[in-house]
Amino acid sequence: MNIPKTLPRQVWFGLFGIALLLAFAWGVTKSGPLAPIQVTVTRVAKGDVASTLFGIGTVEARRAYLIGPTVAGRVRSVLVDVGDSVKAGQLLAEMDPVDLDARVTSADAATARAGSAVTMAQAQLDDAKSRQALAASEARRFVDLGRKGFVSQSVVDGKLQQQQSADAQISAADSALASARQDLARQDADRVGAKQQRRNIRLEAPTDGVVTSRDAEPGSTVVAGQAVLKLIDPASLWVKTRLDQSRSAGLRLGLPAEITLRSNARKPFAGKVVRIEPISDSVTEERIADVAFDRIPQGVSANEMADVTLLQSGVTGALIVPNASLRYRGAQVGVWLRADGQLRFVPVKTGAEGMDGKVQIVEGLKADDELVVYSERDLKDDSRIKVVDSLAGTAK
Amino acid sequence: MISLAGRDILHSWGKFVLTGLGLGLLIGVTFSMAGVYRGMVDDAEVLLSNSGADLWVVQQDTLGPYAESSSIPDDVYRDLLGLSGVAQAANVTYLNMQVRKGDTDVRATVVGFEPGKPGEPRYLAAGRRITRSHYEAMADVMTRFHVGDRIRIRRHDYTVVGLTRRMVSSGGDPMVFIPLKDAQEAQFLKDNDAIVNGRTRIAVNPSLNRPGVPGILDAINALQASNHNVNAVLVRVADGHSPEAVAQDIRRWKHLQAFSREQMDEILIAKMIGAHSEQIGIFLVILAIVSAAMVAFIIYTMTLGKIREIAVLKLIGTRSRTIAGMILQQALGLGLIGFVVGKIAASLWAPFFPKYVLLETGDAVRGFAIVMTICAIASTLAIRAALKVDPATAIGG
Amino acid sequence: MDKNVGIQIQGLSKRYGEGEAAVDALRDVNMNVAPGEVVGLIGPSGSGKTTLLKCLGAVIEPTHGRITLGGEVTYDNGWKISDLRVLRRDRIGFIFQAPYLIPFLDATDNVALLPMLAGRSNGEARARALELLQALDVAHRAKAETSELSGGEQQRVSIARALVNRPPVILADEPTAPLDSDRALAVVRILNQMASQYQTAIIVVTHDEKIIPTFRRIYNIRDGRTFEEAGEGRALE
Repeated sequence: MNIPKTLPRQVWFGLFGIALLLAFAWGVTKSGPLAPIQVTVTRVAKGDVASTLFGIGTVEARRAYLIGPTVAGRVRSVLVDVGDSVKAGQLLAEMDPVDLDARVTSADAATARAGSAVTMAQAQLDDAKSRQALAASEARRFVDLGRKGFVSQSVVDGKLQQQQSADAQISAADSALASARQDLARQDADRVGAKQQRRNIRLEAPTDGVVTSRDAEPGSTVVAGQAVLKLIDPASLWVKTRLDQSRSAGLRLGLPAEITLRSNARKPFAGKVVRIEPISDSVTEERIADVAFDRIPQGVSANEMADVTLLQSGVTGALIVPNASLRYRGAQVGVWLRADGQLRFVPVKTGAEGMDGKVQIVEGLKADDELVVYSERDLKDDSRIKVVDSLAGTAK
Repeated sequence: MISLAGRDILHSWGKFVLTGLGLGLLIGVTFSMAGVYRGMVDDAEVLLSNSGADLWVVQQDTLGPYAESSSIPDDVYRDLLGLSGVAQAANVTYLNMQVRKGDTDVRATVVGFEPGKPGEPRYLAAGRRITRSHYEAMADVMTRFHVGDRIRIRRHDYTVVGLTRRMVSSGGDPMVFIPLKDAQEAQFLKDNDAIVNGRTRIAVNPSLNRPGVPGILDAINALQASNHNVNAVLVRVADGHSPEAVAQDIRRWKHLQAFSREQMDEILIAKMIGAHSEQIGIFLVILAIVSAAMVAFIIYTMTLGKIREIAVLKLIGTRSRTIAGMILQQALGLGLIGFVVGKIAASLWAPFFPKYVLLETGDAVRGFAIVMTICAIASTLAIRAALKVDPATAIGG
Repeated sequence: MDKNVGIQIQGLSKRYGEGEAAVDALRDVNMNVAPGEVVGLIGPSGSGKTTLLKCLGAVIEPTHGRITLGGEVTYDNGWKISDLRVLRRDRIGFIFQAPYLIPFLDATDNVALLPMLAGRSNGEARARALELLQALDVAHRAKAETSELSGGEQQRVSIARALVNRPPVILADEPTAPLDSDRALAVVRILNQMASQYQTAIIVVTHDEKIIPTFRRIYNIRDGRTFEEAGEGRALE
């Protein structure tokens, strides 16, 4: 019998058509809105959450000093430079005395003169006293003579008046002496002040430290209060750390810290919180904590940036989930639970959160509950899902 | 009655299939273009949905924050929280910039957000959410970053800790999410040279650099280097309140504008994508014309090659109607093959497009109807030629 | 009149054009062909034989005259049949210079096409086609594609097609032109065989010297007029 020739060709065509239709159906179901949403799942585990706080900070010196004159003047010499270590009391710079020496001499002279005035006032008082003694005895004698009728009353009155006048002269001399003494005191004080100012042109280090800035060179004129040098105490370097107010629960003194300097990211340094600023920053909504180094690293500079992690005691044996599985419905936080093939949004209450993304679940889930972690799209109650190991495009 | 069209197709199947493939690729391109447009619209919808916001509060008289730039102080959100009907108010910043990884850089939209508030991605594709207050980032998979990569934004390095999907800006750039403060700094802080330059200029200004007032220079420099502006505040409206009513309240503040979801839809789709949709529309028309021409040409050529047979068919008594039907069926068959090949091709190459391509079933159905119509119309040229054939030409050689 | 009385042509004329430029292709043609008879129509080119074929084949309209086909008047100074296509399909068989088979149909379907067009079911049409292919001794090639058939096989298939609807008349236009004498005579033999088997009247237009002697009756056509004469009627082995 003859094998029909058209049959194979029709069969081929039919197969081709079927293959085409299958591919078409694949295209429709695989992509586009009809396809199920790919998700990954995990189970609620029991574990530890190491809770930490994080902030960025700047290395600062707790104690910094501005060294400068108390009156305007000209800088005569600056003896140290940036980076020098200095000891307490060391002479760092000197101002030009200008007319201060002359002022001191003038003050000395004025004091001496005031002293002489006192002596003179004393002598005048002594003189007035002796005259008064004489006038008093004469007055006594003449009163007696007057009583006996040997002299006239007017003569007695006259002598009495002399006695009074001599009394008054004593008072006058007394107050003159007091005034001269006060004047002496004033001139003396002025003299002490001039001497002190003369001493102030010497700018000395108030404590051991390191010079961080040299702001005026010899010959420059500076006003009172302007810094010639800036000094810090390097032993007082700490990290002024800023933490988000909303993420600073549990911040307290003594929390151990890990400080990672921007300049040396590989080796973190240990430290602890030594002060929490009582005034927070309301503009940036941050709390400020000062973290001291346990051992100040070599070569660290002020104003360097650092990342600071504060280690709190975490929780152990808690129910934990990855924070990627937390979803929000309005303000309600929860997870998508997969139970009996159904998908359900379950509100939860969270506890401690670790820096590694693990979150403690306080309420809402049990151990081994299965929940959705990653998803291709936002999930709804009626979404169809397909569980995969990892979502496309996310593997390395 | 046998199907003349079917037999003819079976007989010269190679030519048919090849033509169908060519037509199919053309149709696939058409589907992809429509898919790109749908993808852009979907990007906009997803952008708005994923922000978790009911209202977008921006600078007055702007259409921001996506269509226009908008800048408002970052403490405005506190005032908004005081309004009745406002459940959550969160600052966000958006900035298009180059994000560097190693030697390459990627154009991205850097988003500054606050954790747990509108503006944070609602779901992740890998990794974890940001836990530190600085220098961590979540990036969209379209950036081609992976969890653990170190990327550089302005002057800081960030670690990518999580990946998102479908988080793209309205312009199609993938998004990178960083903490709000870092984003504010990135948005307004200039490069090192500019900063040093600025400092010098302030330092030589005698009214700003007073010798008797230590610290004033530092304070001014700090002011220059800080930024307290954001691009928008995303507001979630409390249950039971209407977003438009809350928006009206907000608009009464003189310096703010508030847009509801519908208004943002219109801004994004009508205004931003509007120009694109015109372009794509023109492309689609051109592609349709080219496809029609292709089908017309092929069918016409195939018919011309059968002129003698058509004359014989007419002579031996075949209806003109039957012959026209044969040609029409061939054209429709070609269209069917082209449609199926095109749909498959579009589905196959859609993931490789840099932009999101959304192939909707509705578009496929419409496309099918249009392809069939175009093929029917294109076949009229050949049908006319066939009908004009005089059966007498079969006699006499 | 007997239904199956072949074809009668009386006073057929065909004029092309009008007035001064008018051309009389056919002038008062008279022909009779009985059922089962094979007559030759011989004439030089330009003699009007093609025009006559076209008139008989109902593809052009004569100017006046009468055509009676299988006992039915199809033309009497105007077409008497409303649907000429149906006339051609059911009442006239065509054999061309070349087989003119439909290339995308196999042998059976090329023949079965005609009954299908006439409304017969596919099965019945194919059965009829097979019957004719058997009669023409090409049934063993029934499923072959046109391109797979040899020239002679194609021609036999085309003859089968002409016969399948049992038309009262078959018009054959130079059926042996491209053939050598053996094949040409074979074709003539088949035609005679089929004509007598199915009682069909066959008009063979030809100028092939090889086969002219086989006709018993010949119509000469010259300048649009026909002249009947007796042919040699040479026997065919």
